[in-house]
Amino acid sequence: MQNRPAIVAVGRTRFGEHYEKEPEKIIEEAWLKASQEADIERKNLEACYLSDYFLPITNKFGLEEGFLSELTELHVPMEVTRSFSSALSNACNAIQAGKHNIVLVGGIEKMTDRWDKIRDDLMLLEDPWSYYAGCTPEANHELMLRAYIKKYGISDENLKKLNIALAQISIKNHLHATKNEYAQYQRKITLEQVLNARKEARKPLGLLDYAPISDGASALILTREDFAKKFTDKPVYILGTYSATDYLTFTAREDMTHFLATKMAMKGALKTAGITLKDIQIIELYDQSTVMEMISLEDLGFCEQGKAWRNIYESCQDYKGYYEINGEKLFVNMNGGLKADGNPLGATGGAQIFEIFKQLRNEAGERQVKSDKELKYGCVLELEGFGTKSYVYILGRE
Amino acid sequence: MSSEPIERRVSYLGDRLKGRRCRNCGKEYFELKNYCGNCGRKSFGKMEDIDLFYDKGTLEICTLVNEPTNKFTKLGNYVYGIVSFHNGKIRVPGRLTDHLTRPDEEIDFSALEDREVVPRFRRRYSVERCDIIPTISLAFTFADEYYQHQEYNIDKPKKEHDTPGIVGYGVYTSRFRIKEGTIERSVPFIDEDSITAAVEAGKLALIHSGIDSSLVGKVYVGSESNPYAVKPIASKVAQVLKLGEEDEDVQGVDAIDTEFACKAATSMFKDAASLVNYPKSNVKYAMVIGTDNSQAAPRDCPGGELDLFVGFGGAAYIFGKYDVIAEIEGWYSCTSDTPDFWRRDGEPYPMHGGRFTGDPAYFKHVRKAAKKLMERLNLQMKDINYFTAHQPNFQFPVKIAKELGFKEEQYMPSLQVARIGNTYSGSSPVGLAAILDIAKPNERILVVSYGSGAGSDAYSLLTTNEILDKRKRQKMTVKYLTENPFIEYVDYTTYRRLKTGM
Repeated sequence: MQNRPAIVAVGRTRFGEHYEKEPEKIIEEAWLKASQEADIERKNLEACYLSDYFLPITNKFGLEEGFLSELTELHVPMEVTRSFSSALSNACNAIQAGKHNIVLVGGIEKMTDRWDKIRDDLMLLEDPWSYYAGCTPEANHELMLRAYIKKYGISDENLKKLNIALAQISIKNHLHATKNEYAQYQRKITLEQVLNARKEARKPLGLLDYAPISDGASALILTREDFAKKFTDKPVYILGTYSATDYLTFTAREDMTHFLATKMAMKGALKTAGITLKDIQIIELYDQSTVMEMISLEDLGFCEQGKAWRNIYESCQDYKGYYEINGEKLFVNMNGGLKADGNPLGATGGAQIFEIFKQLRNEAGERQVKSDKELKYGCVLELEGFGTKSYVYILGRE
Repeated sequence: MSSEPIERRVSYLGDRLKGRRCRNCGKEYFELKNYCGNCGRKSFGKMEDIDLFYDKGTLEICTLVNEPTNKFTKLGNYVYGIVSFHNGKIRVPGRLTDHLTRPDEEIDFSALEDREVVPRFRRRYSVERCDIIPTISLAFTFADEYYQHQEYNIDKPKKEHDTPGIVGYGVYTSRFRIKEGTIERSVPFIDEDSITAAVEAGKLALIHSGIDSSLVGKVYVGSESNPYAVKPIASKVAQVLKLGEEDEDVQGVDAIDTEFACKAATSMFKDAASLVNYPKSNVKYAMVIGTDNSQAAPRDCPGGELDLFVGFGGAAYIFGKYDVIAEIEGWYSCTSDTPDFWRRDGEPYPMHGGRFTGDPAYFKHVRKAAKKLMERLNLQMKDINYFTAHQPNFQFPVKIAKELGFKEEQYMPSLQVARIGNTYSGSSPVGLAAILDIAKPNERILVVSYGSGAGSDAYSLLTTNEILDKRKRQKMTVKYLTENPFIEYVDYTTYRRLKTGM
């Protein structure tokens, strides 16, 4: 990739319920953390790219740009998109095109204020046709699992293993989150709890298979490659990025067991980064549900189609902090994933980038991965809707 | 969060499941796409409509929804899944309806998957009482259970009759019953109402008659439980069943709702028959539907006595002059201003005049209409094979039949009130259907309706040879509906919950 954009600082809030804080206070917190880290003044910023999935709906919020302008007392170009990844994508384009040199990328969501309506809003945005037919945000995940089981003919003993593997994903992510001071749930859960939640719900996935709704914000400062060293000795570069789209209506998609958009985005991202899958050791996945983590491992190419559950099951028999796939170590969702770190939609991608940024700089503290090889590349996958949009970022120190 | 344009679009596409197919490559869409994604510009003007309304699909995969989104909460929990049509060429989301799961029931999804399902026309979800009631066909029931899948085959008319009459009919009632003593009454599922029953009955009538729905020039819907005070049921029936010639989403049909308590539908039989007989009307067929989710206050409230008898269902009749199965020989109607049963505007439940509903109301009018018609047509008891009257309860129709001199074999076959309850506007039409289901050619039927307020219509019908041919077309007879192994019985609390609806 030419004119690689560089991330020089990141900041985020804790995810969870921020009842007492107004949305603009949450984004302020994230931005201040990032600006302090890189010692950047407001007036250095040439543009801002903000993301929120549906803040104006959930919080009766006006024009987000106006709030951000008031907050930063800036009158620079500002754009709002729906996901952190799409905001970052716009920021990258601007930097690569040479339009701006230093930009702020931020994401914010405040979902818990609207706890009684949030699932309707989510479902209607995610897949309106299915909403009208009675779908819930969870049902599509469960249908995907049912389709997966049918397509790959998984039954009896294997089905049991698959179900345990999915539970292990959740357990693993909660375990990781215990070392993340920003995570929404910094506690461990047990296999029994996950299975009981499913039993209680009388369906394939239970409460503990799903990411929560959250409030939170994240931010980063993106600069031109040659500006980066002014702010930090250890910039993290965006080596490759790509996105792809798929039909809004889940049922209309050709393949109901995988996310086509993810497959395409990963292919494009690897190509622009000029690296191969084997170079990647750490990824942050979009695990809205445990099924999504399993499927994404296949979509990204790390696991064979229809086989990820085996890799997960075997890795989790005696979990060492990573999945072992064909002899290779893969560190997945070290921050706890969406499941335990939290999932404030517009800010989620920022937290994923935050994690890879910290890991690549060896600043992740207790959760720093212990790899035999030097940690050179990290990968982030973020989805919008139920796989309607897929963004892949490949980050690296060099 | 409801957006009007989207609501309407969903209704347009969803009330009658339809899609488009590319004539170039055969790709199908559950959407009214003007071009094909495969063929691009080449496909402009080459997309053809496909209709899934009479089709059956397969429930590919499913799961349980036990925490629905807000508008669906009244459904409780339900099985939701993906249904495919045409070997997976089209996939649509949908929920299983007519399906109650017990709280302790462990559901084996694989046992439900890969089974055939039929699209059903139902309420979509609950809305405020001031809002438009949204409907959809993205609700399904298993094709091998209560509601059978039936194809709609259009036959060319063979014979023109001099006298107009019934050319087809259909009866619909739900799968649920409440049983108290010896009386069984039908209970709508929670997403059903008089509108959905009207559409179902009309659909079955079209299937039975084998006529082209575009030749229906008028549809009358009689009901006293229309969920709207202003907005016809008939317009929904016309649009969903595609009655009359379709032109730019407008159906070339006259549609009207009628109201006269329980005789709202039977009153229009003669109007429909006259209309098709009038040479300049240009109406080949006319449809009359009687439908009700019969209203009754809860048992311990004023007017709650009605709650012992009310049922749910509808019957539809198509009148015409071609391939008539029962000719209308004549009729007699009478009316008097008798306030025996009423519901004031804005009130949810009707009231009735207790003992006043018997002699000065029901018996007086039924007796008058029956006797006058027999006099007019010069009919004796022996000339009549079957007799049916409005069935508000079991005693009334039996008492009047005996009083008029009919024997058990003449009036018993039509007595359905003990099996499905009083279906108000649908009551005497259902009784008539039960007879038509079994009648031989050249048999005479005397049907007398009664509507509170009050009045009666008496008709004399004479069956023809065609009745046997057409019988093969309909699997869902009154007997099938009332003696079905898939009938599910519910308790009083569930009955009230289902009946009150979404």
